[in-house]
Amino acid sequence: MNALLLSRLFTQLGADGFLLAVWETVYMTLASSVLSYLIGLPLGILLTVTAREGLVPAVWLNKLLGVIVNILRSIPFIILMVALIPVSRAIVGTSIGNGAMIFMLVIAAAPYVARMVESSLKEVDAGVVEAARSMGAGTFRIIWKVYLPEAKPSLIVGAVISSVTILGYSAMAGTLAGGGLGALAVTQARPSNAQDVIWLCVALTVVIVQIIQELGMLLAKKTDKRIRSSEKIKKKESKGESS
Amino acid sequence: MIELKHLTKIYPSAAGETVALEDVSLEIPDGSVYGVIGLSGAGKSTLVRCINLLERPTSGQVLVDGKDLMTLKKGELNRVRRSIGMIFQGFNLLQQRTAEGNVLFPLELAKVPRAEAKKRAKELLELVGLGERARSYPSQLSGGQKQRVAIARALATEPKYLLCDEATSALDPATTESVLQLLEKINRELGVTIVVITHEMKVAERICTDVAVLDRSRVAEQGKVADVFAFPRSEIAKQLILPGLLRSLSGSGKKLRLVFRGERAAEPVISGLALRLGISVNILFADTRSIGGKAYGQMVIDLPQEEEKAVLVKRHLAEQNITFKEEDL
Repeated sequence: MNALLLSRLFTQLGADGFLLAVWETVYMTLASSVLSYLIGLPLGILLTVTAREGLVPAVWLNKLLGVIVNILRSIPFIILMVALIPVSRAIVGTSIGNGAMIFMLVIAAAPYVARMVESSLKEVDAGVVEAARSMGAGTFRIIWKVYLPEAKPSLIVGAVISSVTILGYSAMAGTLAGGGLGALAVTQARPSNAQDVIWLCVALTVVIVQIIQELGMLLAKKTDKRIRSSEKIKKKESKGESS
Repeated sequence: MIELKHLTKIYPSAAGETVALEDVSLEIPDGSVYGVIGLSGAGKSTLVRCINLLERPTSGQVLVDGKDLMTLKKGELNRVRRSIGMIFQGFNLLQQRTAEGNVLFPLELAKVPRAEAKKRAKELLELVGLGERARSYPSQLSGGQKQRVAIARALATEPKYLLCDEATSALDPATTESVLQLLEKINRELGVTIVVITHEMKVAERICTDVAVLDRSRVAEQGKVADVFAFPRSEIAKQLILPGLLRSLSGSGKKLRLVFRGERAAEPVISGLALRLGISVNILFADTRSIGGKAYGQMVIDLPQEEEKAVLVKRHLAEQNITFKEEDL
């Protein structure tokens, strides 16, 4: 009965096949996110502190970095990916496989991450930074002890958004030469018209995104010490209204 | 001692240049509570930020204990900054740290060993009356409590100086009073020299020993707070000290402003005028206030039109040892 409803590809893949695709997607997303932050976080910090009103204003450097980031961000990923094939061959040694995919994902995502980090750091109250300066904190310590801890909840939210975006990119990257749910749906399921496989890929992607989203938001909320009291007030208010 | 010599601060702006400070020279004696008052936009905040070089003056000298801060390298400047505490109108606490964590912050910067730092933080929070709230986050504290944490944090590195930038302007009157009392205590018991920036004359009267009045980027006048209050010379000081007065008085005629120091009451003087000289004068304005813990009264009366009578009135007042001045208000 089941065999009639399910496509041949579906039964061929079995649980192991789908799990492998899930694993490849998770692995590509995680690895690319971590590497993107290794580049994007320092870049975001640099964009923040070299701004005109930043800690160590360096307008030309800020402009230069800004232009590079903007150029990379304005290229649609699928075009960037194709353009990066020779670059990937030169650097990673290959333009196919998960390694090459991660390289391309990082090139596309790092500028995005840098802007996310920059916007989180710009939310930090300038007065608090000024207070730290008045206490004799140098640039490095202000970054380490003021900017990053104060922006932590916002940085976590940014990381969630970035990794979900990277997951989306990774599905596209899969179509070129990698693995994962995207590749499964596009390069295998679609040609053999296995609609059920496509739907399951969609469902699994949604589940992964939900898990990242929920865990990330929970973490962000837990680390944020600012909203506690206002939340209490809100709770009180709503209680007052209902009673 | 903090000495500011010929400070000028010019901000470049789209529409040319904005002069925030122009040739400002001040001496802030050790142990004093030094007030800098002025209307908003007068340059007060820029001035206080020049003391620890949060803003670099365009020209002039900033001497702290004889050291010219403008010539210091970054590392040296940061060390000097640790001897100058600062508190702000917006408190500027680290939101993601507890009260204790905030007080520990400058101690971490100064590389004080953890155990010692924790002990010191506890003492300081007790000093400002928040021993019980060490584990509270700023979002769980009231405005007054936040400013107390900020004061504890500013005192952590045992500074010789404390700069207060409109520190009570965001607080209600009762909380303002309690914070001012705390500042007084710090000045008295720890010997910390305090610089108070405020647009509220009341605050300056309440705790300052010395005062400088800023007007449009310049020092309009400076001196002991009691003297400046008794006889404000500059237009701006008169405006700040006699705000209600200027608005309520109109018409021509010479006016006399009497200032009573200490416990002398105004009543017998005026009735004495009537009884002894047969001259009744019109009282235009009267109030009392406390300056540096002493009661001061002031009164503005109409001088009689006739020159003879006016002379008699002045002589009478002089005999009674009343300080007075003819004002053209």
